[in-house]
Amino acid sequence: MRSGFYKQTLAEHLALTDSWTQRAWIVLALAGLATAPFVLDTYLLTLVTLMMITAVGGIGLNILTGWTGLISLGQTGFMVLGAYGYAIPVESWGWDPLAGFLLAGLVPAAASVLVGIPSLRLTGLYLAITTLASAFIVVHLVLEFPGLTNGASGIFVNRPTVLGWTVFTDQDLFALVAIFLVLTILGALNLRRSRIGRAWFAIRDKDDAARVMGVDLRTYKLYAFVASSFVVGISGALYGIFLSFVTVDGFPFLLSIEALAMLIVGGMGSIAGAVLGAVFLVGLPEVVSMVFSAFGDSARALLSTGAHEVKGVLYGLVIIGFLRLQPEGLMGLWRDAQRVWTLWPLRY
Amino acid sequence: MNYLIELLVSGLAVGAVYGLIAMSFAIIFKATGLLNFAQGEMGMITAYVAFSIASATDGNPWLTAAGAIVFSVLFALAVERIVIRPMVDEPILARIMTTIGLAVIFRSGTMLVWDALPHDMGLAAGSALVDLGGVRVRGAQIGVVVTLAVAVAAMLAFFRYSRFGIAMRAVASDDATARLMGVKTARVQQAAWGAAAVMSGIAGALFAIAWELSPSLYALGLKSFPATILGGLDSVVGSAFGGVVIGIVENLVGGYLSPGLKEVAGFVIIIAILMVRPYGLFGEKRIERL
Amino acid sequence: MKSWKGAALLAAALAMPAMAADQGVTDTEILLGEVEPLTGPPGLLGIAHNLGVRLAIAEVNAEGGVGGRTLKLVAEDDGYVTSRTIQSLRKLIGVDKVFALTAVSGSGQAVASIPVLKQSGIPTMIPIGPLPPLYEPPMENVFVVGQSYTEGMRQLALFLADKHPGAKWGVITQDDDYGAALREGIEQAKGEAEIEVAFETRYARGQKDFSSEMLRVKDAGVEVLVAGGIISENIAMVKEAEKLGITPAIATFWPGRVPEVLKAIGPASDGIYAVDYVAPLQSDAGQAFLELARKHLSEDEVARVNRYTMTGYTSTRLLIAAMQSCAEDLTWACTNKALAEGPAIETGVMAPAAFAGGRFTNSPVTIMQADYETLSYAPVD
Repeated sequence: MRSGFYKQTLAEHLALTDSWTQRAWIVLALAGLATAPFVLDTYLLTLVTLMMITAVGGIGLNILTGWTGLISLGQTGFMVLGAYGYAIPVESWGWDPLAGFLLAGLVPAAASVLVGIPSLRLTGLYLAITTLASAFIVVHLVLEFPGLTNGASGIFVNRPTVLGWTVFTDQDLFALVAIFLVLTILGALNLRRSRIGRAWFAIRDKDDAARVMGVDLRTYKLYAFVASSFVVGISGALYGIFLSFVTVDGFPFLLSIEALAMLIVGGMGSIAGAVLGAVFLVGLPEVVSMVFSAFGDSARALLSTGAHEVKGVLYGLVIIGFLRLQPEGLMGLWRDAQRVWTLWPLRY
Repeated sequence: MNYLIELLVSGLAVGAVYGLIAMSFAIIFKATGLLNFAQGEMGMITAYVAFSIASATDGNPWLTAAGAIVFSVLFALAVERIVIRPMVDEPILARIMTTIGLAVIFRSGTMLVWDALPHDMGLAAGSALVDLGGVRVRGAQIGVVVTLAVAVAAMLAFFRYSRFGIAMRAVASDDATARLMGVKTARVQQAAWGAAAVMSGIAGALFAIAWELSPSLYALGLKSFPATILGGLDSVVGSAFGGVVIGIVENLVGGYLSPGLKEVAGFVIIIAILMVRPYGLFGEKRIERL
Repeated sequence: MKSWKGAALLAAALAMPAMAADQGVTDTEILLGEVEPLTGPPGLLGIAHNLGVRLAIAEVNAEGGVGGRTLKLVAEDDGYVTSRTIQSLRKLIGVDKVFALTAVSGSGQAVASIPVLKQSGIPTMIPIGPLPPLYEPPMENVFVVGQSYTEGMRQLALFLADKHPGAKWGVITQDDDYGAALREGIEQAKGEAEIEVAFETRYARGQKDFSSEMLRVKDAGVEVLVAGGIISENIAMVKEAEKLGITPAIATFWPGRVPEVLKAIGPASDGIYAVDYVAPLQSDAGQAFLELARKHLSEDEVARVNRYTMTGYTSTRLLIAAMQSCAEDLTWACTNKALAEGPAIETGVMAPAAFAGGRFTNSPVTIMQADYETLSYAPVD
């Protein structure tokens, strides 16, 4: 277990990983991903697939909110743009799915520039409000052009054929999403240890100081917007493929809130935190269902339970609980545990 | 011409609802720097409580009004003390997310405690139709406009003339200094939450009477948002004005342009305002930009 | 959940002769599943539907079940959210391993679930939201009970055109498939009768304030209003009309044909027209149905019975009849065939329902008018 942070050269600082334990964990995780399709049943497999798609979205939002400190409530809008950015070219125009994925990233990225430019000079609250408004406007625009988007009826999405490999079964879809997740994590890690990543951290921590150091706030904030929405768009496209159906109903405004909750629960600013948050977020309703049905079949058959509402209340309580008691989320818990372990029996 | 007048009257009525809730947003922001995303939900709960009181007292408007107001104040004070005050030093994102978490709880909680069906409030005085020179409105709609006017007048007087109002302005400006000057910031924040609760509670209840009571009443909060931005997040009176403007603009857009645009009109206004005058029409100019 | 899995596995291992049966069938039980909104505002129809299914199951179990096996039901709540519908379906089919589905939530959700349903081949009844994509083109295993909104609109429009010749019409519809179906119905009716639409508009789902729409209705002098909302929207429209002092003939459709709507609107709801393919509760058939409900359901539950209970009951009876004719060989293939070609089932609350080789019952509709005094609907002559 680490007891401190000892880097001596820049190369060490930039390296992706420096400890054999971490490498072992990574190998284990990859092995887990590789064997999961053969071991898990369909239901669990699709659940994990959903977790991975949510994690991709979370990593995207993390770039904007966790690393650059720009609060965004516009997650829903970008996911919708990504989903339609994939569905329209691939299903309506017959383009190749790879091009579809590229567009799923580029369309929201372009839109984010539009949203970003007026918001660049705003901080915190005002930015949250602008992104909130943009989410609603995007949804409205989708409904306003049924000729292109099929309006409220939505677009059916077939499972794609990527580079000759036909993604058909649930196992195939799991593999595709896993590949995207790994690529996203690698990309995010690379961004983080690059110049742009460091600029983002500077903006988050003390933007006037960053400006003094030569970081052009407007440009880098725009970069953050673009990078974040590119990734979020791709997660939207993956979600559309997962549902086999793209409509605005599939992306309610609640998603924006869930995305932020995911980061808070997992740990803001950390990629592992985003993934953990996604697992937690998608897993919580399932765990609650299981707990409920453990209380007997009567809880199921009796229609007066309002199980869904209870889930909603629990969900809100969990968010507030984390915010009050452990604002650094699950990663914070992990770091605390690490610290206690290394320092024990000493307190500090 | 009559058509235009009817549109304006409708717009005024719904705008008054937006205005009251917008004032709630503004007063809490003014006193604490926090945007209470759960305001719409709190108004909705007050409306439901009013419904229960009305059902229990067979439609007695005075008891219902009194009961609803008392409840809304107590509820807001409880929320403020239990959830919001402990988080006062946390970063803004955490505090906003807390109110969002509360909003989620309130929404689901309402459906648990009551039910998910639309209801009639059962207050005959509110649903009664009143003829104002050719234009018909419901009693509750007149009520809402009157309440807005009273609230605006009260706020104007409060902030300018009363000591407590000045104290609130001090807390909004710099709460550490205010505390050094002997202002009890906790009291100020409680007062702000209480006032906000009363305004949005009355707005929610009157809206439910004039339109309908259903668990989607919380959406009023989201729709009143643009009003606060338009008026200025820290301008209570400005928010009231913003509410009326948005209500009228929405109706005019719906009446003359397309009904679809009606819902989005508010959000487009937000973006426009934030680009041009982020502190709103009446807000205080702060150096928010870099 | 785990116990079902275990029981199914164990039973499958032990019951060798029953190996010809598909999943969800043991020696003593048959497991049925459904997805619907059980909570939240749409719970009004989900719960009522669920009661209908349970009523049919209780009735059949009391008579000995299907081939000596008792029927059991697993209901999943999707809160009317499409992604949850699909997840719940996957769980029902893959984990709970139900034998057949008695509902797949509302119309939008069912349409989105088509790929999953088609891929699995499980016998599926769709009584809540009959939309053409669900039966055109027909799928092997998906059976839609009811009537299309288009047809219902067409008939109601023709009736009203006949009753109010030369009137100006106003059409307010929702901006989605449901609204599109209604608009299609008006178009068809226009081809058969003189209908002058003076005002037409669409609204986005969830809209609460219809003041500007109703003002335009008043301005255009509309005498027949097609209120294409579901529940909240129709309440808002009619109350606005009351406020403005206009009294057009109002046409509504079965998704919102529940007494709660009349109650929420108030006296202005008297005389509203509606079209439906199940009998109103106040009719003789409806009362008989309530009697049946009282036998098998609790008092609380009987209070929640509405038209969706009737559709759930009828479609489940159809499914059960098909299963009964396949009692020896309880497989999906046999059930799908029996459903398609089986005889008409008479439940009293609907016209005799059958699929006649297709996948759609095409049930005939009745036109009704609301009576506020009794909070009920009565057929017009």
